[in-house]
Amino acid sequence: MISRVADSCFWLYRYMERVENVARLLDVNLLVVLDTQTNDQERWRPVLIVAGEEPRFIERFGADSADDAQAVQNYMVFDEENPVSIMSSLRWARENARSIRDTISLEMWEALNAFWLWLGESGQKSFARDPHQFYSEVKEQCALFHGLTHNTVMHNDPFNFMRLGMLLERASQTARVLDVKYHAMGPSRPDKESLEEGIEWIALLRSCSGYESFFKKSGVQFGGPSIAGFLILEPDFPRSILHCIGRAVNFIQRVRGADSGPIGEQSAELLGALHARLADTKIEDITSAKAGIHKECTRIVEETARICEAMRLDFFDPPLPQMAKMMKMGSMTQGQS
Amino acid sequence: MAESKKAPKGRGKQAAANNVFSGYKPLGNCFDELFGVDGAPHGALGALVNSIDSIGAGEFKARQKLANAAFLKGGITFKVYSDKRGEEKIFPFDLIPRPVSGSDWPRLERGLTQRIRALNMFLADVYGEQRLLKENVIPRELVEGSKGFLKQVKGIKPLNGVYVHVAGIDLIRRPDGSFCVLEDNIRTPSGVSYVLENRRIMKRVFPKVFTQAKVRNVDEYPLRLREALTGVAPEGVAPRLLILTPGPFNSAYFEHSFLARSMGCELVQGQDLFVWQDKVFVKTTKGPQRVGVIYRRVDDQFMDPKVFRPDSLLGVPGIMGAYAKGNVALANAIGNGVADDKAVYPYVPDMIRFYLSEEPILDQVETFICARDKDREHVLANLSRMVVKSVDESGGYGMLMGPQATKKERDAFAEQIRANPRGYIAQPRVEFSTCPTWSGSDMRPRRVDLRPYIVTGKDSWVLPGGLTRVALVEGSYVVNSSQGGGSKDTWVMG
Repeated sequence: MISRVADSCFWLYRYMERVENVARLLDVNLLVVLDTQTNDQERWRPVLIVAGEEPRFIERFGADSADDAQAVQNYMVFDEENPVSIMSSLRWARENARSIRDTISLEMWEALNAFWLWLGESGQKSFARDPHQFYSEVKEQCALFHGLTHNTVMHNDPFNFMRLGMLLERASQTARVLDVKYHAMGPSRPDKESLEEGIEWIALLRSCSGYESFFKKSGVQFGGPSIAGFLILEPDFPRSILHCIGRAVNFIQRVRGADSGPIGEQSAELLGALHARLADTKIEDITSAKAGIHKECTRIVEETARICEAMRLDFFDPPLPQMAKMMKMGSMTQGQS
Repeated sequence: MAESKKAPKGRGKQAAANNVFSGYKPLGNCFDELFGVDGAPHGALGALVNSIDSIGAGEFKARQKLANAAFLKGGITFKVYSDKRGEEKIFPFDLIPRPVSGSDWPRLERGLTQRIRALNMFLADVYGEQRLLKENVIPRELVEGSKGFLKQVKGIKPLNGVYVHVAGIDLIRRPDGSFCVLEDNIRTPSGVSYVLENRRIMKRVFPKVFTQAKVRNVDEYPLRLREALTGVAPEGVAPRLLILTPGPFNSAYFEHSFLARSMGCELVQGQDLFVWQDKVFVKTTKGPQRVGVIYRRVDDQFMDPKVFRPDSLLGVPGIMGAYAKGNVALANAIGNGVADDKAVYPYVPDMIRFYLSEEPILDQVETFICARDKDREHVLANLSRMVVKSVDESGGYGMLMGPQATKKERDAFAEQIRANPRGYIAQPRVEFSTCPTWSGSDMRPRRVDLRPYIVTGKDSWVLPGGLTRVALVEGSYVVNSSQGGGSKDTWVMG
């Protein structure tokens, strides 16, 4: 498929994943804050930190506002100058979709466009009336989009690149959320957890839609390390890092095809290495090291970024010398897609 | 006229106030597409008019809203795109269809096909032997002085000899009901996506009216276009067909993506293509791949920065070399603009006679070429009765509507004509036809034109339908979307 189109497929889904993650994060926060005694500072600032937006936010609105529920939510939902607000992510998702309208299905486009129109009008009203309802609607629209993608396009290259975008973004987001939450809860030890911390762990699981899944997994003990282990290493949980990376390995193989030529080698190698490392890790290996969770999460975020960069060079925007090399190798073919 | 109008059958006085066409008055000085001067629908249209009429004004309004919402949701928008919310507008759509009778249509088809044949031969000739110029059928300086005449393509023969793969010929209807050609668009005519989308939405909004009227289907267009385009691929190359778009910011981007989707081909931008050893390749995730045919929606001047505008980022450096060698087919051909020149248009009937030894089937509008002294004097002396047009503009820009203009505007235009006579032509204002159009509260007569589409590969095919554009502003003669125009579904009746 066309390199630029692959790039847009990839980013379309990265942006959609961001929309959903931000909505879930804000929603969980909103609910927890209703019946816990934690002060707002511990509540809303981490959202900005996860998004990497704390400095920019403080510069614009002052440090005090970072603890203000309304200010932070407005910034993360509607602020068009915030590059990771729901509004901005959805706009860029739609821009990418628009540039590949011939590739995505009509149903996908209509759902995304309706979502965008809704956010600008009814969505604003819905948010003002009942933010929780608003976040639910955002998540539902994301789910609708996922479902339509799954059921209305061919499961070939464009689809594979969309999945790759979603999975890599998701892995990275899970790592960020975990890192920030773990950090915010301080040097928590598995044997000494207050009830309040318990609520925090539940909130963390909910931020990743993992509450029910976690408790269905038998034989796990409720607590920081086991939850971190679940979010990083549980192979069957759709938002765990290992799961996402494992799926991404499959999709990169599909993209490269059975013959696995030289194209995509770099991306596949990096992905494979990350997957192998995680598959071989136990949560105790991580928690026993000093600042183990933080180190691991940072490493995952960095490695994911490296994989995305490798994909750019392999598939989306290969440098011309590389292209010339391929021409000489005679790997160019006539008229296949 | 309207005052003496009889209530047509089925529209009783009681119900009349709530009916869709209640109180409709044709203008009287021109042909109306639905109603005769006596106020009754044209013979064959009685059933159609009645079935729309009986929907009732209230329900009609609701359905118009429904249609607008459907366009917005589909992102079927046309305005130049900017990232500000609200800048994407739908092309206003009016629910009253514009019928073309099944007895008029075959003649139009023949006339249009004839015209395309002649224009294609004209292009082959002016960029080849130039017989027409040598025999003085058309003045050499007029052709070679046209902005659309590109000396860079002299001697280049497009694959299979096809120049005009896609044409949109604008027709208007005179007071006597006869169709005539207003202008030719054989560079990159747009609008066909609206023909197909208008129809899709009409079917959703007016299913019952459809079942009663026998309307010819338009869905075939993408398949016909695909067949025509893949048919002109260079030999020995798998005919990978691409559409080249300037990108999502182009006002016709919706159409480009629509066509790619409905033809099942890929939509690319200049940056996706490159030329290597005079062959065109597309960058893919499996490496570079050879391209056979490009339906390009990028203007001539932007196609190749090595040959035309060096600042163009929309085109593909070196593509003209590949084109000249016959390694890629470009549709439409490069250099067609010379035939779109409005000062060349008056010679099309002569071209038909010269190349085909036939009489033109379709008439066209009397045109004065300001570059000719006698014509110019006549135009300047009669400016208040003339429509003056710039020879190489489209979209309703660079125009003077003499009868509606102020004296000051006319004087200013006269100056422009004197300063650059080759740049202008003038035509007497034609009282072209109207069609009932919803004003928001009732039905009013508004001017309409008709743009049928002709697709040419090995043969020519005319889409049974076309884009009907309507001047939504009261008293306006300008139907262009950039000037407050809208569109209607065109129904070629079976």
